[in-house]
Amino acid sequence: MNVLPSEEELMVKNAAREFLDAECPSSLPRAIEQDERGYSVELWEKMASLGWFGISLPEEFGGGGLPVTYLGLILEECGRAIAPVPFHSTATAALAVVGHGSAEQKQAILPRVARGDLIMTWAVQEQDPRLRADAIQCRGEVDGDSLVINGIKHFVDNFAASELVVMAVRTAPPTDSSAGITLAIVPTNAAGISETRLTTLAKDSQSKISLDGVRIPLSSVIGEVSQGWPATSEMLDTGTALLCTQIIGAARKDAEMAIEYAKNRVAFGRPLAGFQSIQHLCADMTVWVDGAQLLTYEALWKLDAGLPYGVEVSQAKAFTNDKCQATVRSSQQIHGGIGFMMEFDLHLWYRRVTAWTMRLGTSFEHRARVARALLDQPGEVRLGMNLQPVA
Amino acid sequence: MEFAFTPEQDALRAEVRQFITDNVTPEIVAELEDTGIRRRGPKTRDLYQQIAERGWIGISWPREYGGQDGSRIDQYIVEEEFARVGITVGGAGSGAPAILAAGSEEQKQEFLPGIIRGEISFALGFTEPQAGADLAGLQCRAVRDGDEYVINGQKMYTTAAHYATHIYLMARTDPDAPRHRGISIFLIPMDTPGITVRPLWTIQNNPPAPLGTTYGDARTNETFFENVRVPASCLLGEENQGWYVGAMGLNLDRVGASRYLISIQRDEDIVNWVKDNDIEGYAMREDPTVRDRLADMWIEGQVCRLMTMRSMSIVENDGAFTYEGSAEKVFAPEHGVRTTETIAQMLGPYGQLLNGSEDAIEDGVFAHNLMGAFQSGINHGSVQVMRDQVARRGLGMPRV
Repeated sequence: MNVLPSEEELMVKNAAREFLDAECPSSLPRAIEQDERGYSVELWEKMASLGWFGISLPEEFGGGGLPVTYLGLILEECGRAIAPVPFHSTATAALAVVGHGSAEQKQAILPRVARGDLIMTWAVQEQDPRLRADAIQCRGEVDGDSLVINGIKHFVDNFAASELVVMAVRTAPPTDSSAGITLAIVPTNAAGISETRLTTLAKDSQSKISLDGVRIPLSSVIGEVSQGWPATSEMLDTGTALLCTQIIGAARKDAEMAIEYAKNRVAFGRPLAGFQSIQHLCADMTVWVDGAQLLTYEALWKLDAGLPYGVEVSQAKAFTNDKCQATVRSSQQIHGGIGFMMEFDLHLWYRRVTAWTMRLGTSFEHRARVARALLDQPGEVRLGMNLQPVA
Repeated sequence: MEFAFTPEQDALRAEVRQFITDNVTPEIVAELEDTGIRRRGPKTRDLYQQIAERGWIGISWPREYGGQDGSRIDQYIVEEEFARVGITVGGAGSGAPAILAAGSEEQKQEFLPGIIRGEISFALGFTEPQAGADLAGLQCRAVRDGDEYVINGQKMYTTAAHYATHIYLMARTDPDAPRHRGISIFLIPMDTPGITVRPLWTIQNNPPAPLGTTYGDARTNETFFENVRVPASCLLGEENQGWYVGAMGLNLDRVGASRYLISIQRDEDIVNWVKDNDIEGYAMREDPTVRDRLADMWIEGQVCRLMTMRSMSIVENDGAFTYEGSAEKVFAPEHGVRTTETIAQMLGPYGQLLNGSEDAIEDGVFAHNLMGAFQSGINHGSVQVMRDQVARRGLGMPRV
């Protein structure tokens, strides 16, 4: 038991921070908000040259072979810098291929991801945005050697930038032994796909995707047809844990900006930081982000250790949603009027953290999952135990 | 990072649990319930001897003073398992951390093995009628007179003073120095002439709180010192350095197994109760609001656990807290209060029924907790003072 990051972990994290401090000033995410592509090609290429995109991919496919905690630490720094790159969606989709893809799929996809030659995303949610198998209505039908897809996918990150999308579709009605979901790799330029860009609070790239008779080969299915829900659920959990790291990185930076501002801004004859009400708010912000960070690290660590980690992911996301939202709102409060002026940077962080809390599961959904694990299976519970998720 | 205990630590935990199953008999439980959590009756004293013989007390202390040179995490595991059945081991609040850090060789030899054997215990003599959270305002005086000090003053909330062998006393030795620099610490036998102890009963007094209730001790004390003469060898650390010596002990006193359990035991209790119990057909576990709130509490409980583990990790790596101990002492007690008040609204009128009442749930533990949980946000440094410390030590903000 040592919940503190190791020297090696800190080295990677610090290196990422140094790089992003130099290469991703706030002017970059600000500029990309107005950019049609939705990401910085230049920053993406520089990050690729550092080998970050493959850090937790297997070595045999050109990756670094390090635990996913390392990827989480880098994404935390990307969140801190609100780096405008499609890293999170690519990593989430690529890890689904690592976990459940065929040898051919891995060979075709992972080395390219590791080199930074392939941008990916994932698509599970629909107009009913709940993250559960029965909310998936987008239809897939097997036709000879093909899978034909019809329906809508909603809230898809970085669709325009991506070459491939890992998509969950319904190929069968749910039964006792199968949720009837198929997970498949779909080219974003396939005939029959159309995209509508959404305008989000974060002013980042999300889209609604319409699929009209989109035909892909069955070899693009991850695992077996209609047996893809466990892989989908795992992809959601991995993506959620990684999104938590981004939120935490951004919220920490946001809190630091408030603390710095409070030390310098003078009111009533002294710095704001000389007022106890401000000190205590800053103390709370620190404690909140610390808590979110510890929960998230534990979830990632369990993922790496091969232990059940779904409940830990939900714990982390529910707490991160509520407390990081409270943190960035408090930071706005401390900044006063200047904090919500366009020309001031603070809103860049506020708007992203706020939008991210609504993605990959609300606090309500995640707490409902924790409640299922606690209440809907037999046995006495104790904090810190390994708890199996209950679907 | 490493979020699991080692196989050896898991084995240690299993061994302690087995020991508890085998040895914490209903008679011992009855005695513990009768005497309060920390006071030891004859059966409990025998049990404590057995625990000490197994080397489970002061595991992380040096071998030469009766410890095992072992890991602080091992010690935590033992403390947690015993605290879960209402038995305090391992010297939390004993003054031992400060003796280890600042004591002379003679003092270490005099006190530490005795603490381990259960023969020596301390009451804490810090707070005074006019100095609580603002401890540095204390007025209890110790005046040097040859090879002795003469002590006069009054201490408040000296819990355990009526059965402890010693008091860990903070007194002013230089009234002319700046507040923090004129304070010293003394280790004084309670049977020294001139010390009198008067009981102060908490709101937990009647009916008695069930074992394991947050701050279940019904009795604390005020202790008076009237021309109490003690040898100069009772001084711990340097004269007038007591503020800094005391801080070493307090930092470690604010974190660890008992602080953790004080804050989270009701989380586990209520979830396990709701799982197995209906109220006349009302299955609370199916109520969506209850489920949401229980999950929320559970998640906060996990944060308490992880913050405790963070503090233990820092201690185990020989690090020093900057703000982490204070952060834990903000979050955990306030969580305990939120949980307790949430449970009250879940149980409704049943939630107010005390120990022994008709229809009391779980011996009224949740009702008693409503009188106890908030105490954790006050004792050993209020959550407001802890926030000051996070802001100053952790965030570099100025003293107000």
